[in-house]
Amino acid sequence: MVNRNPVIAVIGAGIAGLEAARQLADLGYSPVLIEKEPAVGGHVAQWNRLFPDMTPAAEVIDALKKQTAKIRTLLGTEIASINRLKDGFSLVLTDGTSLLCQAVLFATGFQLFNAAKKEEYGYGIYDRVITNRDLEAWFNTRKDKRIKQPEAVGFVHCVGSRDLKAGNTQCSKVCCITAIKQAIEIKEEFPDAEVYCFYMDLRLFGKKYEDFYIKAQRDYGIHFIRGRVSEVGEAIDGRVVVKAEDTLNGKPVKVTLDLLVLMAGVVCNPDAQHYARQVGVSVDDDGFLKSRDNIAAITESSRPGVFFAGACTGAKTIPETLAEARSAALNIHHYFNKRK
Amino acid sequence: MIYQGKQKIWADYQKEIPDDHWFYVRSCIRQNFFPASEKYFLAICRDQLGRDIYESEHHTTCAGIAYHCDTIPQETAMTVVARQFALMTEAGYENLVTSCITSFGNYTEILETWRQFPELEEKVREHLWKACRREFKKPKYVAHASDLMYKLRGEIAERAHFQLVHRATGEPLRIVEHIGCHYSKMFPHKGVGGAEYPCVLSGMAESWGGRVIDYPERRHCCGFGFRQYFVKANRGYSLSNTHKKFESMEPYRPDVIITNCPGCPYFLDRWQYVISEMEGKTYGQNGYGIPVLTYEELAGLVLGVDPWDLGLQVHQVAVEPLLDKIGIPYDPARKYLGMDEKKIMTPGLPTSLKCF
Amino acid sequence: MGRYFDELSKDYRFKEGLKTCINCGTCTAICPAAEFYKYDPRKVVDTVQRKDDGEIEALLKSETIWYCGECMSCVTRCPRGNGPGLVIMALRNLSARLGYFTASEKGRQLWPLTKTLNNNILHTGYCIHPSTFDCDEYPESGPVTRWVMDNKEEVYGRLGANYEGKGPGVLRHIPQQDLDELQAIFDETGGTERMEAVERASREKAAELGMDFEEYTKYTYEHCSVGHFNDE
Repeated sequence: MVNRNPVIAVIGAGIAGLEAARQLADLGYSPVLIEKEPAVGGHVAQWNRLFPDMTPAAEVIDALKKQTAKIRTLLGTEIASINRLKDGFSLVLTDGTSLLCQAVLFATGFQLFNAAKKEEYGYGIYDRVITNRDLEAWFNTRKDKRIKQPEAVGFVHCVGSRDLKAGNTQCSKVCCITAIKQAIEIKEEFPDAEVYCFYMDLRLFGKKYEDFYIKAQRDYGIHFIRGRVSEVGEAIDGRVVVKAEDTLNGKPVKVTLDLLVLMAGVVCNPDAQHYARQVGVSVDDDGFLKSRDNIAAITESSRPGVFFAGACTGAKTIPETLAEARSAALNIHHYFNKRK
Repeated sequence: MIYQGKQKIWADYQKEIPDDHWFYVRSCIRQNFFPASEKYFLAICRDQLGRDIYESEHHTTCAGIAYHCDTIPQETAMTVVARQFALMTEAGYENLVTSCITSFGNYTEILETWRQFPELEEKVREHLWKACRREFKKPKYVAHASDLMYKLRGEIAERAHFQLVHRATGEPLRIVEHIGCHYSKMFPHKGVGGAEYPCVLSGMAESWGGRVIDYPERRHCCGFGFRQYFVKANRGYSLSNTHKKFESMEPYRPDVIITNCPGCPYFLDRWQYVISEMEGKTYGQNGYGIPVLTYEELAGLVLGVDPWDLGLQVHQVAVEPLLDKIGIPYDPARKYLGMDEKKIMTPGLPTSLKCF
Repeated sequence: MGRYFDELSKDYRFKEGLKTCINCGTCTAICPAAEFYKYDPRKVVDTVQRKDDGEIEALLKSETIWYCGECMSCVTRCPRGNGPGLVIMALRNLSARLGYFTASEKGRQLWPLTKTLNNNILHTGYCIHPSTFDCDEYPESGPVTRWVMDNKEEVYGRLGANYEGKGPGVLRHIPQQDLDELQAIFDETGGTERMEAVERASREKAAELGMDFEEYTKYTYEHCSVGHFNDE
């Protein structure tokens, strides 16, 4: 039986879900956005300014919100169970309702690595240790008592990334550029502060990312130390003491700082892994959802009717996420056309 | 410092420690330098708390020190340990408790290596059979004696005569806890509380009324370094590392340092003496050092054992200021007596470090 | 593949200790030896990882591999699951087996170490024993240790030890049959062979240096040249 107005369950109303829903609606379909938080916008809605052009995150989110205002959106709602039927899927939602749909789009995004798991960095134990998320939130709200006229600030790259012991051996892709962006923003805020970035490698692959690095060195005097932070301790005055090796000089270094920012990496949302298994889609060995093909079909899963967009299949930048969202919408369109 | 953060981590690294029926293996260093410590470990756990802890008179060193000084090949070290397992099996035990931290690390490393490479276990079984016609079962649990005392800390607290509190001010004593490197650095999940915030000693200290302080070099090795100490030419390394720890803990004014490794208290104690001789500097108050205790000594003090029965007189750094702080009575005249209250000669005194 | 690398690969500590190193420096950052000695565990692992025979041979004959204190602080933190301390143990054991240890001042110390520790183990059953502890060799042990050692029976007796006694207890006499088993274990597992190899290579070195063997033993135990520490 042909459904003249197919319903697509879009799991997650972050930028991937919003953009895909917008496209699907434009194509004449009925997407339903299911979002567990009380508001749309996902992680990006919490951020302040976005690389490479320092675009206010609010601009991106507001535009998406406007374009999806008429789309059926279920906020504060999670999925209790999801089952595959002969010609579609049945979802039981935590608001007690159920939803029948003909395709499912995972736009579940990522979860920020829980920095407290890197115990040697003292997040949640030492007062002056914060994460990239905490800092970005401070840029928005200016409310965080840990950030008080710091004279020396450090950024720790690769927290929970490229780390066997943290359970995530992959690179989280966007932290290096974010660290440099935030380092520059901190310098703009506190021009007399000494700012240090402790890195293993600087992965600045994207459009105009290298300009940030050049600017950081040339215009802001940010210090780059090629050495992964091994241990963070607390001095008697509450400042943090960081140990790393300056590998380019081959010498261990110890730096005392007023604020330490941990660049927490991205891992797959565990809810997504759970739902994926329920519809017969596998989780790849990097913990993210497994695409049908990592080159030619990243937005398709190995099962008919299940599609992906954004960070659920791996760390993604915003433009990549938006591109995948549109691509997934097109995949879904072709999927329905073929079934007619 | 956000204490709850530490508690969350401790909750993640809870190790199963059986309650009873242990096969005990002694520590070379502890027996030489802290002889009453092992005696009191058994006196407390066996006699006072009624646990079954068995010692075979045929057990030997685990040769861990030689292993880490690279004077014996790995297979020799493993076979010596296998013999200890054979003695344990013969005596009918499956829980092994070690007095030494290097032993604990050694036994744990060997069991983990055999788990990963079963062919090596087979080879060692063959070696042991050929060498001394013994067979063994692997222990079900290996714990360090401090793990056991940690587990029993509540029972010890119930029977405590003294609290780790400054009698005059009512303030908890400021305690530096020093964990032996081989306790949890190699296998964090085999240590209670993991490698970064082990709670085996802080748990004991806090149960008995003290307050544990964190300082930047808390996790730093005391600098024993095996060959770096045993060879006279290398001792600067050992001294430098302990010195670094003292410089780091000094602003926190600790009242006492407690350790679970047998070597660490020796170094943390004696290097204070050396630093005072070399530089005239002492880290305690008024020219005294910071007393260094093993966990058995701490438990003994709290339970009201006479300090000289506990062997505190064989420490170089004077413990009297600490005893006075807690309000533990002691008889200075009995400090350096021999057996049966016999008067023997007393030790010389350091030139700089204040001792009694 | 280099032949030294192949030999190292047979050591189980090497199998555990070397996976793939990305030169992040996490190990060197907290290494107690790196702070004081001219030592960098990251560089050691990186060199070994290159599998070059020439470079590894140089390492086996160098001072470098003898600076590590085997504290294993590096094992806790490495993001790639390596263990420089374990790699060092494998290097030291290979250097001992091949006799290369005599090429370096710190390496030559293996002889007095082997002699003291292994003999303690085989003759007493302890790694350290009051009967062989010479306070003059350990002045840092302080006046109190001298007092203990000068009054062994009284002090150990007063503290409840079973010094040199039969049966269980602190510092008990370990029965000869048990020491015989230890000897048999050493013989069976290559421990004795290792002791002989270390002694042989050391005797050769002593002769080369024109020293009598006792003199050599004392010299290697006590002598420390300038240049090992970072600030020298």
